[in-house]
Amino acid sequence: MEISSNGAETQPKFALPVDSEHKATEFRLFSAAAPHMRAFHLSWVSFFACFVSTFAAPPLLPIIRDNLNLTATDIGNAGIASVSGAVFARLAMGTACDLFGPRLASASLILLTAPVVFFTSIASSPVSFLLVRFFTGFSLATFVSTQFWMSSMFSAPVVGTANGVAGGWGNLGGGATQLIMPLVFGLIRDIGAVKFTAWRIAFFIPALFQTLSAFAVLLFGQDLPDGNYKRLQKSGDKQKDKFSRVFYHGITNYRGWILALTYGYCFGVELTIDNIIAEYFYDRFNLKLHTAGIIAASFGLANIISRPGGGILSDAMGKRFGMRGRLWTLWTVQTLGGVFCIILGQVNSLSASVAVMIIFSFFVQAACGLTFGVVPFVSRRSLGVISGMTGGGGNVGAVVTQLIFFKGSRYSKETGITLMGIMIICCSLPLFLIYFPQWGGMFCGPSSAKTATEEDYYMSEWSSNEKDKGLHEASLKFADNSRRERGRSVHSQTLPSNATPPADV
Amino acid sequence: MAARVLVLSSILTFSCFAEICYGAVSFSSLERTLVVTASHRQGLLLAGEDKITVAWGLNQSFPAGTDSTYRTIKVQLCYAPISQVDRAWRKTEDHLSKDKTCQFKIVEKPYSNTNETLEWTIERDVPTATFFVRAYALDQHNNKVAYGQNTDAKKTTNLFDIQAITGRHASLDIASVCFSAFSVVSLIGFFFAEKRKGGKGQQ
Repeated sequence: MEISSNGAETQPKFALPVDSEHKATEFRLFSAAAPHMRAFHLSWVSFFACFVSTFAAPPLLPIIRDNLNLTATDIGNAGIASVSGAVFARLAMGTACDLFGPRLASASLILLTAPVVFFTSIASSPVSFLLVRFFTGFSLATFVSTQFWMSSMFSAPVVGTANGVAGGWGNLGGGATQLIMPLVFGLIRDIGAVKFTAWRIAFFIPALFQTLSAFAVLLFGQDLPDGNYKRLQKSGDKQKDKFSRVFYHGITNYRGWILALTYGYCFGVELTIDNIIAEYFYDRFNLKLHTAGIIAASFGLANIISRPGGGILSDAMGKRFGMRGRLWTLWTVQTLGGVFCIILGQVNSLSASVAVMIIFSFFVQAACGLTFGVVPFVSRRSLGVISGMTGGGGNVGAVVTQLIFFKGSRYSKETGITLMGIMIICCSLPLFLIYFPQWGGMFCGPSSAKTATEEDYYMSEWSSNEKDKGLHEASLKFADNSRRERGRSVHSQTLPSNATPPADV
Repeated sequence: MAARVLVLSSILTFSCFAEICYGAVSFSSLERTLVVTASHRQGLLLAGEDKITVAWGLNQSFPAGTDSTYRTIKVQLCYAPISQVDRAWRKTEDHLSKDKTCQFKIVEKPYSNTNETLEWTIERDVPTATFFVRAYALDQHNNKVAYGQNTDAKKTTNLFDIQAITGRHASLDIASVCFSAFSVVSLIGFFFAEKRKGGKGQQ
């Protein structure tokens, strides 16, 4: 039972301090308290499982390519296929989250892609290999539900951190799998299986992990701090929104498209490297499978701190300099990632390559975290669609990059890596074009027009008809909470808040 | 900026030095003093089942004492050019330390001055490809000093095809199908359970 009195709410039931939307204003990593931190742990673990499955093949490619008689072109195509499925899946997932809630959306996707991972064990030709990698890649759409869930559970001061840690620890799967799969393979082979059978058995591990994580999400998770979508919609606390409106307001927001492009050149690059780096080290430096796997893993493992670091940095910059700080930091870090990518393609020795790769991984992954410090503010009504567009853009970047630079035998891998670095720098420039009337952009300050407030920005997504029905309440609360994106210099200024008449609860 | 240039140039210089330290034996410097033959049954050979009979020995037209430095003989299964197309991990390089042509060892034993034969069952990790057989003679420091192969210099004659095992088993297939079905069925089960809970008008 809730006691409501003119807008002031009693919150004895939350373990963490919350704002007016019941989103947590603190992020406590070592707590598993429902609903906020529990949602965090469920989302990053399930996302981690999907990453492990999607990138389970690359570290075992030296075995698989002999078993299935693959050529370099086949391998390149499969790599492209593995990240292209998620392009539209992420957009669809964004919409599904807006409409059905992240819990059901992500668990459904995970349980529907788990069979494909099981079927990888029975692949027997280049075509079947490509198909299993393509469909397994759909599971990377859980990234969107992760970010959406975190943006629903955590408030502006910590949303970048929450998004960054959840995304980063999930992406960790791409690195962990480079260690796990060769290990599991080695174990099974030593027990007595032949190489060409051992890798097939090894794939059961990621598949089972994925299935179990989906069960956990369904059993223990909830969509919003106040409960699940279905229940809240029944009781009238959450309005059921229309797909066409949500979708329209998402895709007509140009900021979403710019972020989609730039995310393609931090996250897309990360996916590309996940696909090619183990083979790169194995072939170029004549390493053992195990060793190449460990080095490749360290790229993905940097995600433990690099992406969260990006999120934390975004929040810190946001606190001091507002949205402009978030944008400048994002551009700087991503451009530096491009510089180190160029260097990675140029160095010739093993130790230099490893060192440069690690530095490069920090910058590229931090840029991913920084991107999702900006995304939650682009739209409130269509948060899922914007997250989906940005996330999908990441995969498009991976597809395009692998198509141009890493397919077949046209460029050597080293040349491809250098060219990819140049492309990162070029594709980060559009960030200069992002402008929020209430907060400004990289070159321009906030507009001084009277209609340039947070409320105006977020209310522009609702028609007057919808406002009459009171559908915009959640956006209004969000607008109020997002005022701190003006930065510290105006934080002390008290602005007239458009007080809303309390809706009937 | 200057510091970054300095770091970059020192990294590049060190990597150049590292290159020079690696071995210097090239394939074209080896003499073809060994005669190698490989015989097998007709048709496509199956890995794990069929056998190849390999015979090798010193080519008697070379003067005596040619093999004075040979200590070990290493016989290998090597990829024919057709199986190297679009597969950079099987590439032939003149620099022996970088050469990836021969990736499977048939036998490695101390060198003896007589002609030797071996019947070798094709191992189960050999992939589907076209192969030939090459023998390297190694000296006491394990450096390659001579070679012989059952095909010509252009690697066009006496090649044979091997078919790999699939690695699949009926039990694996069944397990895959069962677990997949379980995932999908349990998802449907969850949806039903949710609908029932919602239908009861739960608070």
